[in-house]
Amino acid sequence: MKTIMKKINIVLLFAVAGLYFSCDSKLDVLPEDNIVNELAFADESLALGVVEGMYSSAQQDDVLNGTLQLSGEWLSDNVDFEGTFPTFNEIRLYTIIPTNTSISAFWDDNYETIGSANLVIDNVPLVDVPTFTAGEKAQAIAEARFMRALVYLNMSSFFGQPLQVGAGRANLSVPLVLTSELGVEVPRATLGEVHDQIEVDLLAAISDLASGTRVKASPGAARALLARLYLYQERFAEAAMMADQVISDSFYALASDYTFYDESGSTEHVFTLVNNADDGQDSFQGFTGLSNPVPNGRGDAPFTDNLIAAYQEEIGDLRFTTLQQTGSDANAVQRIFTSKFINFQNLDDDAPVIRITEMYLIRAEGNFRASTTVGATPLADINRLRQRAGLLNLVALNLNQILNERRKELAFEGFRRMDLLRNNLSLRRIGMPDVNLSQPGMNGTIYPIPQDVRDLSPFIEQNPGY
Amino acid sequence: MKSKLTWILTSFMVLCISFSFAQGKTISGNVTDQAGLPLPGVSVVVVGTTTGTQTDFDGNYMIKANSGQVLRFSYVGQKTTEKLIGAANAVNVQLEDDAQALEEVVVVAYGLQSKKKSITSVSTISSEAIDNLVVTDPQSILQGQAAGVQVVGSSGVLGAAPEVRIRGNSSIGTDSRPLFVIDGVPLGDDFLTGTQGGGQGLNPLASINPNDIANITVLKSASATALYGSRGANGVVLITTKTGGTDGKVKVTFDVNTSFARVTDTPDLLNTEEFIQVRGLNGTNVVSQGADIDFIDLVLREAVSTSYNLGISGGNKQTSYFVGVTYEDQEGILVGNNLQRTSFRSNLKTKANDWLTVGLNFNGSLNKFDRTPSENAFAAPYTIAGLQRPDVPIRDADGNFTTAGNVGGGNVVAQELLELNLSTQTRIIGNMFAEIDLSSFVGGLKFKSDIGIDRVSVEAQQRDIEILTPGGSAFNSIDQQNRLIATQTLSFDRTFADKHTVNVIGGFAYEQNDRRSIAVEGTGFLSDALLNVDSASLFPTTSSNGTASRLVSQFARGTYDFDNGKYVFEGSFRRDGSSRFGANNQYGTFWSAALGWNVSDENFLKDVSWIQDLKLNASTGTSGNDRIGNFASLGTFFVSPYNGNSGLRPTTLPNPDLRWEKTTGVDAGISASFFNRRLNLGVEYYKRTTNDLILFVPLDGTFNNGLNGRNENVGEVENSGFDINISSVNVNSGKFKWTTNLNLGFVQNQVTSLPETASVDEAGRKFVALGGSFSGQRAIEGESINSFYLIRAAGVNAQTGDFEWLDVDGNLTTTPTQADRVIAGQANPDWVGGLTNNFTFGNFTLSTLFNFSYGNDIFLNTRVFTENVLSGFNKTTRTLSQWQNPGENALIPSPSSTTIRNYQQASTSQLEDGSFLRLKNVTLNYNLPRKYFDEAFISAVRIYATATNLATFKGQGLDGYDPETSRGADGNGAIGEEFFNIPQAATVTLGLNVSF
Repeated sequence: MKTIMKKINIVLLFAVAGLYFSCDSKLDVLPEDNIVNELAFADESLALGVVEGMYSSAQQDDVLNGTLQLSGEWLSDNVDFEGTFPTFNEIRLYTIIPTNTSISAFWDDNYETIGSANLVIDNVPLVDVPTFTAGEKAQAIAEARFMRALVYLNMSSFFGQPLQVGAGRANLSVPLVLTSELGVEVPRATLGEVHDQIEVDLLAAISDLASGTRVKASPGAARALLARLYLYQERFAEAAMMADQVISDSFYALASDYTFYDESGSTEHVFTLVNNADDGQDSFQGFTGLSNPVPNGRGDAPFTDNLIAAYQEEIGDLRFTTLQQTGSDANAVQRIFTSKFINFQNLDDDAPVIRITEMYLIRAEGNFRASTTVGATPLADINRLRQRAGLLNLVALNLNQILNERRKELAFEGFRRMDLLRNNLSLRRIGMPDVNLSQPGMNGTIYPIPQDVRDLSPFIEQNPGY
Repeated sequence: MKSKLTWILTSFMVLCISFSFAQGKTISGNVTDQAGLPLPGVSVVVVGTTTGTQTDFDGNYMIKANSGQVLRFSYVGQKTTEKLIGAANAVNVQLEDDAQALEEVVVVAYGLQSKKKSITSVSTISSEAIDNLVVTDPQSILQGQAAGVQVVGSSGVLGAAPEVRIRGNSSIGTDSRPLFVIDGVPLGDDFLTGTQGGGQGLNPLASINPNDIANITVLKSASATALYGSRGANGVVLITTKTGGTDGKVKVTFDVNTSFARVTDTPDLLNTEEFIQVRGLNGTNVVSQGADIDFIDLVLREAVSTSYNLGISGGNKQTSYFVGVTYEDQEGILVGNNLQRTSFRSNLKTKANDWLTVGLNFNGSLNKFDRTPSENAFAAPYTIAGLQRPDVPIRDADGNFTTAGNVGGGNVVAQELLELNLSTQTRIIGNMFAEIDLSSFVGGLKFKSDIGIDRVSVEAQQRDIEILTPGGSAFNSIDQQNRLIATQTLSFDRTFADKHTVNVIGGFAYEQNDRRSIAVEGTGFLSDALLNVDSASLFPTTSSNGTASRLVSQFARGTYDFDNGKYVFEGSFRRDGSSRFGANNQYGTFWSAALGWNVSDENFLKDVSWIQDLKLNASTGTSGNDRIGNFASLGTFFVSPYNGNSGLRPTTLPNPDLRWEKTTGVDAGISASFFNRRLNLGVEYYKRTTNDLILFVPLDGTFNNGLNGRNENVGEVENSGFDINISSVNVNSGKFKWTTNLNLGFVQNQVTSLPETASVDEAGRKFVALGGSFSGQRAIEGESINSFYLIRAAGVNAQTGDFEWLDVDGNLTTTPTQADRVIAGQANPDWVGGLTNNFTFGNFTLSTLFNFSYGNDIFLNTRVFTENVLSGFNKTTRTLSQWQNPGENALIPSPSSTTIRNYQQASTSQLEDGSFLRLKNVTLNYNLPRKYFDEAFISAVRIYATATNLATFKGQGLDGYDPETSRGADGNGAIGEEFFNIPQAATVTLGLNVSF
């Protein structure tokens, strides 16, 4: 009797065990630290999270935090490359091949930011929550349009020839992707089309953006970016006018010295991307990692002799004397490095994206080349910057001097390459390596379309020479 | 009261009926083993009838039978004995050990099978083979021991996980590592530690103590692994740990050994004079900073390790036990690389009564690694040693460590001497089981319930000091993996009518797997004396995260054999439900079918004296691969903050249809022994087709919100080949015995189909780029899954001094483009194998093991760096061969050639034939003659010497590099990729083994 019960018990146990263990609900396991797509725009808080995520995406070193910016300096005459990365060395040596993984990452990471912006633009209008007002939605979309414009301006500078070369507006630029819908393939747009879209986005964004911030998109930042676009487009009068609008906004003012670099509250900044200790540059290859000497940084990006000589043409240029440090480069040689990005401990120097200084330089150059004096004379603008640098006033001004001041103000911030190309100047000065390869219009002055992109999208035409 | 009475009456009636049918007498008796101890559970049947019983706890039985009938006594591990019933009513039997039967049992999925009736593809590695090895992880035991099993040591750094591939590489997008199961508990093998520059973290199986392992079975074919369902496709390695005996004796073994290790091979680097010369020739005047250092000498060392192992085992027919403890203090050949391991194991099994057996296997281990970064890291000493200028001193005039001028700004010697980089791993693996014998109700029926746990906890502690990381930095993390595995099985094993044996097992299994990690990091310390994050001023990392997966399964296997295994049929089935897969495809079904024919049992072979155990078998089956991470089917956003606000960024694209990778295998084998088993031969042919490959199908991020692909089931890979095993007793003349075992695995691998969305190369072939490789390995349709796709280098033109390549049409060019790349080689070998020879001469035994690999290529990415004359780094002496005058044959082009700037781009310049033959192990044992010790106290003394990696035969192109190289055990594109891999150590071990 007892044993029979035992037998029944065992069989029951087995049956129950089977039922228990085949229970489907056990398999419904969701991630604990991610949000599934279905929820990403479920409410205002999450939707605004995607907006923050767009800025976070731009924090990648390849987008706004320095790798892309310094790579342009390596092609030019400001900064040497002394480090170990073969992909960076290719850039410095003008021996880039389309499989260069750093350039592939530039493309990829910038399109990630564009993707985040497109997601915001397409999905925020669909968020059906009463507390999420039309104004708030419009602002979120405007921020996305600003970021999309900023990234497209950078991408179009590197992956296609500038307006001043070849077919001008008809030069092939990057594919203009304006939707978050997956798999909508488009060929490379022309530079004109990309520039037009940037202008449309910025003009539309200005009225919807909230002012009073330097760390996110704002009307001032949108106008400033328009000024930069117009300068690249040689629409000099409009560039000067737009820059003047930013300068006349009292929210911005030239800082009195050069200690503003990691001060996101400084009036110097029109738009600075904030990095924190717990959320800094994402690799050791951004502004901070590359441009500090060993052992604080990689020691990869010291001043070129040519840049040192440029500063030393005049004695006491504070942009040189107060913004430099001497240390060991990656090859054990004592070199001069910039001290614009010195928070090596946590790689959390902010990225200087748009400074009011640039607006003075644009106003000066725009006025000079349009023969106007919107806001101030070019000489007055340049002298204002020279005074801050501890230099004597100029009494007369030519374009070279404007560009020279621009170089010294913005060195290591990623402007030099476009400033040379758009003025039809070679990227390297005579006496530097590969001057010939650095002439405007040469194949090596722009990057190849990454091979992995072309492997998947063969219809994206490769740049000549690659 | 009434019902009780009814029951008693009924029982009585049943009894009466039995009596009336049996019409015989009652035979009783006692069954003992050869030591005279009672044997419980012995099956006693009257031959030719269905009457049967079992001996009780004291070995006694009672059965009805007639005179003239025969009683058959059978028990696992004992020779089956038959007794004719005569006049006497008492039949006592003493059974004998059946050594042959014991040997021929193999461990299979969820059970044991006699070797004769095992008809799917398995390889076993015996305890004798394991005892001769000095290894630190279970993967290394497999090296060269089983046909079709390729094991590649990925690095000479302690804790590096060897790469294991069973019958080729069947997956592009996921992982091809086999499943490891220890005493029935599937092990978690997630990498829980950071990579520190190597291809992967520390070997998750390093906590399994090889000293505890009794034997290993490798399930190779889909039919053998089908019972592991969704995890069987890469093969399954079943580890069985040691148990106690049943003879009542206590056996104590104590082993102590000391090992001396040094590196096998390293590249020759330039000294200061040569460095200055090479740099000068290429236009850079280097002023020596005064030193002349061989950095490889500085970062490698002769390492001394000691190991102590104590094992106690024993038992009787009721209870057996094994208790083992190991303590090891290991030094790596790399400075600062150490391991201290302590491991306990207790295996216990007891027959509580005549129907219940319970047991417990329990293993606790503590591994303390002092880690050293390797391969692709700035802090990797061996890497830096290859790059660091020889003239830059690492200490200043006062003897203080310097950092200026060092590659990466560190000082790897100071780092290893002064910084903390610890990983402390504790692991508890245990399972408890209860087996209930239900044969009193249904003959041969058993129920088994097994609960297992597998808990791993890894604490990492790092502390970077002021001179290397200004401000200092501390990092502390704890990663835990908790697994619970519950298995319930019913099994039935019975022979009907003397000829028909049926063995069925069916059951349910449930696994839960939870992982949690926390990590904190602090920077900005006042002093190096303050060790922990608490004392920092800034906190870049505060993280805590978790993830989980669940697996529910139902499975069954049935085996039928006729006439004691003459014909064997087997079928199995498993249904797995996994949380890892898409909502639409959470369940997968796997099955197998096999048949075998023991030809030797046929009458026509009975009289053929020179052939034994001839067996033919064929099988087919399916199994799966679920190594895709926990949430690969979901589209998700991850949290990414900006300026102190939490943000979301898209990270994966969804695929609700995602399902298992499914491997379908067909196998056919023949095995036979000849000349009284002096020569044994086994040949198996297999073809494994893996379809529904889980592939991260690349999508152009340009048009997909920056996301570069999604997991899809696409494509097909085929691996086919032969496994051959030959073993022989060459000499067996009393004092001298020589045996040989050769195993060979031939495998051919081909990608047979890729999705429409795959990339297309210049020749129009579809391919998938393998992310884990330096060289740009590709899985190419119609070609190997690990194809090297490179420009062909032709070398330096002796007349012009230009470096030349071949363009796609085979013409020489000095300006190659990416369009000139061709399939230049492949990373998978055509065949691998091992050759073991054992010699016994009196008290000496000598064992040698060679392992080898043929037909694979290796990409030496190190050369891109160490043979680049334009870089500021140190270089190998190969760069001394630079063209200067017409007519010179040189490796490096002329300094004035345009090709000097790009001759080092990835090409076949860095690709070398990876074939090799390695004397993996030589062990000499000397059993001390008994006259030298007190036999009453000590039963045996063995002195041994083992050498590992004593000699390696490889192509000249691999001078300075180890032919065993990979970027790790994980992921594809890892195999055949070298980047400053620390070569294996050559080790000599001296040991003493005493048994009491």
